[in-house]
Amino acid sequence: MRKPSPIIGLIFWSLVSLLTLFPIYWLFVISVKPAVQLFSTPELILSDPYWGNYAKVWGDRLLRSYMLNSVIISTGNAVICTVLGFFACYALSRFNMSGKESIFFWTITNRMAPPAVFLLPLFLLMTQVYTVGDWKLLDTRIGMILVYCTFNLPFAIWTLRPTVDGIPKELDEAAYVDGASSWQVITQIVFPLCRPGLAVTLILTWVFAWNEYLLAATLTNFNARTLTTGLSEYVTTTGTAWGVMATISVFTLIPALIVFGLVQKHIVAGLTFGAVKG
Amino acid sequence: MSFALKLGASALALTVAATASFAESRAEFWKNAAEPYQGVTIRGVTESSPPSLYIREVLAPEFEALTGIRVDVETTSWDQMFDKAIKDMEAGTGIYDMAYIEQDIIYSYLARGFLTDLTGYLADHPALKAPSYDEANFTTFADYFKDAEGNLYGVPMEAFLKVYLYRTDLFGDPDIQSAFKAQTGRDLVPAKTHAEYAEIAQFFTDYGKANDMDLWGTTAQAHTGHVASWYEYYESVAPTFGVYNWGIDPDNNYAASTANGGAMNGPEAVEAMTWWLSMRDIAPPESPASTWTEVGTTFGAGRAAQGLVYGENAGWIAADAEKSLVVGKVGVALPPLADGVLAEAESGDGYIGYYDGGAFGMPHSSKNKEATALFLQYIGQNEVQPNWAVAAPRVTNTATYEDPKVVAFNEELGGYYDLIKDKGYLFAGAPAYPFHAQVREATAPIFYQILLGDLAPQEGLDQMAAAAEATLSDLGYRK
Amino acid sequence: MQSKRLGWILLAPTLVILFFFGVLPFIYVVYVSFHSWNPFAVNPEMVFNGADNFRKIVFDSAFLNSVGVTVMFVFFAVLSELIIGYFLAQAFMRDFPGKAIFRTIHTLPLIMAPIIVGSVWKLMTTPSIGIIPHYLDEWFGISMNIGTSAPAAFATIVIMDIWHWTPLVTLTLIAALVSLPQDPFEQAQIDGAGKRQIFWHITLPMIAPAVVATVFIRLMDALRTVDEVWMLTGGGPGSATRFVGVHIFKEVFPKTNYGYGSTISVIVLYLTIVSCWLLYVTMLAPRSKKD
Repeated sequence: MRKPSPIIGLIFWSLVSLLTLFPIYWLFVISVKPAVQLFSTPELILSDPYWGNYAKVWGDRLLRSYMLNSVIISTGNAVICTVLGFFACYALSRFNMSGKESIFFWTITNRMAPPAVFLLPLFLLMTQVYTVGDWKLLDTRIGMILVYCTFNLPFAIWTLRPTVDGIPKELDEAAYVDGASSWQVITQIVFPLCRPGLAVTLILTWVFAWNEYLLAATLTNFNARTLTTGLSEYVTTTGTAWGVMATISVFTLIPALIVFGLVQKHIVAGLTFGAVKG
Repeated sequence: MSFALKLGASALALTVAATASFAESRAEFWKNAAEPYQGVTIRGVTESSPPSLYIREVLAPEFEALTGIRVDVETTSWDQMFDKAIKDMEAGTGIYDMAYIEQDIIYSYLARGFLTDLTGYLADHPALKAPSYDEANFTTFADYFKDAEGNLYGVPMEAFLKVYLYRTDLFGDPDIQSAFKAQTGRDLVPAKTHAEYAEIAQFFTDYGKANDMDLWGTTAQAHTGHVASWYEYYESVAPTFGVYNWGIDPDNNYAASTANGGAMNGPEAVEAMTWWLSMRDIAPPESPASTWTEVGTTFGAGRAAQGLVYGENAGWIAADAEKSLVVGKVGVALPPLADGVLAEAESGDGYIGYYDGGAFGMPHSSKNKEATALFLQYIGQNEVQPNWAVAAPRVTNTATYEDPKVVAFNEELGGYYDLIKDKGYLFAGAPAYPFHAQVREATAPIFYQILLGDLAPQEGLDQMAAAAEATLSDLGYRK
Repeated sequence: MQSKRLGWILLAPTLVILFFFGVLPFIYVVYVSFHSWNPFAVNPEMVFNGADNFRKIVFDSAFLNSVGVTVMFVFFAVLSELIIGYFLAQAFMRDFPGKAIFRTIHTLPLIMAPIIVGSVWKLMTTPSIGIIPHYLDEWFGISMNIGTSAPAAFATIVIMDIWHWTPLVTLTLIAALVSLPQDPFEQAQIDGAGKRQIFWHITLPMIAPAVVATVFIRLMDALRTVDEVWMLTGGGPGSATRFVGVHIFKEVFPKTNYGYGSTISVIVLYLTIVSCWLLYVTMLAPRSKKD
């Protein structure tokens, strides 16, 4: 293919990045402005930053527990959804089960549900049905992990399906001929070959869980509250604490960046993949 | 002032002396009463407003230290708070032992029997009755949380007026005063009538334009997609034109339209709307996207010379230099009124603005009623009020006004507490409707169309009255 | 060779979880949708009213309006995201200096929660003091007020959505593109096929499943959009951005109209499924038959 000059590429990507980064930059600007300056004439360039919000947020014990909950819930959910989604895709791709295409389509309908209305039945189920003695599923981390499966599991299945379908069946068969068990074929042959797709799925399911607000706001109270619900505490009738909110948001970017950094290189790993198949 | 201070000081001295001897016996009471409930955790849900945060950060730990009863307070956003409390009480789950009850939702909760009658409960459990708690200590605002028999269902924790704020520095500037006098022939003082208010607003908007300042003559809480605008009109504008209770007549089969005997689309309502829209047009450009939050911020940023602002915000606007540019430059006054409205308010037939606030109630489904009753009494005591009133400007007990800290704070707030104390009776909370949110939501979309100019005021108000009546029929209130 | 039983075992956990957290609540919603139920009505109980809610919905102009604006929103937002996302994904297939950094930057919007995105964009677009209206006015003399102008508010939300979600499209398309075998392309080039021909006849058919999956995800997420719109415009001005998600939210939360709100949800869910099914059948089914 024609190779454009690297300079043009650099300029192009710098422009795209500038547009992408601007709202994030602005978030940062808000976080280092005292409230009193927020409603004055805006200036593009940041001058004289104010770190009061950071001190406030850093010292907040409650926010730290929200952060921990968020990390546990999103990571747990992303791992479960990616793994179960992969299993499901493998089943749908390799086995000639009756009605499998209908099942495939049906899974995605779970993501279409408008969440506002499903809150009430979920609340009732989690307080009155999914209980053991005094223990309720409501307001637990495992409860949120499972609830988030309703939108993340379908997503995982749908993004992984093309990847799993793309792995030639001949590879499985060759492995069986070599005497591998089904489990070995799944985990040692197919799973590694799906790395780019799995990495993307893991990142995106993690992101969806990390960013979810409405379900967490209703289905958690004290023990499993997440960062996004913590953010909503700063929207009140006596004013929105924009600065604190922005500061928390800046903090929420950090774990997300770490997860991205860890997983991104696996997307690149897939670049050599075409050669394997050829 | 000095007399008040002296009085306050001597009152303080008396209190100190009294506290020394009573303190021990009082601490004794809490300890003994809480004895059977050691290790119990009670849980509440509330909006994350400053008064609630004070409960979470100060009163709850204090109470736990004193009694061994742990208090967890979940603070959340305004929208979420109702939903969570309603779901819990509707399903009878018993997640919450305390719920914040905003004054406008109490009638809905009472109609459903969601709340525990605190008066009756304490009468039935004399061992739990704290000597330092007395319903008579509350201001008249507590009446909103009582049923027809006078039983209390919530311990008041917030009370505010939506007041007329004005900039004392601008109103007191001799140059501005003379320019205003030259232009209008009147002295520049806070408006008493709508015409005066409009004149001042126009003057300052022109003044801001002429001097290339970010200054306008009035605020307007006129968001075109958020119920804040609906509230400003029905709570704070329509009543000053003599349209009360949203123009719905509860004694006449909940009629809303004039044809059926209501006033929602009557001439006063139209006049109020027209006036308010004309004020919105000369308010800062952010007004059509402003909720109560932005109105407070607009005023705090010094972008408006006068405006109707919620009392919650009056506190930080007037006194918190971290958030406000107009500290020490704020005066409070009664809103501008149409003829005859003040007389109607004086006689109790009407009101001139919104008395806003909330209380903590105990859901019927609470599983820790004893411990909760103790905590609710704890936050209702006179002793805990003064610091609370300074941390988050709100007064719920009569005695709080006299506390020296509060007296001093009142000065900072430009006499806001005096206004509540002396004129609070002229204001009123939301009408006693158990269908508050339902009718609001049914009419709000039409209301936004009026704001956008898609509907003329008369036409829009006609449609709103019809929509209100249809919703009331659907819900079964209107026969 | 391999038994179907293994297939069902692999599928079972997914089916079980989705049954308990997806299907059971759905059944409840369908049940409620045949009732009138508002806990703050004179009669707070659920009352069976047959198909009344479904009859009412046909004439409910507020609901129909919300469907209309949602369709517009989905069309503009998802189409733009798909086009921009595809070009960016293609661009990322090349090697250039600083690629890893640029790719990371490009994915950053994804890690911002919708309520944060809504808040930041609200502050950026507050009339007269937000940075965007401020500089639009100062540099170009354009006045933008999302409180009064429906097109401005609508466009802001579409742009915000494109900004927020294009990276998702880019990422999924990168994953699809990297797994493509190379030989068809090499063969086509040898045969002298043009760029456009390669795209329409080779690339697009091969990545079609991934494109459809991505469109589905964006489509249904756009339909569920609540948080950022709630923060930014609250559905206004008027009902210009009152998307179905927001409409249902307002019906169910403040209005506590559980019965009718459930009916709307069932209908919306039905419409979504039907449109997705049509898309699915037309885009993918012919291909799988060929296989």
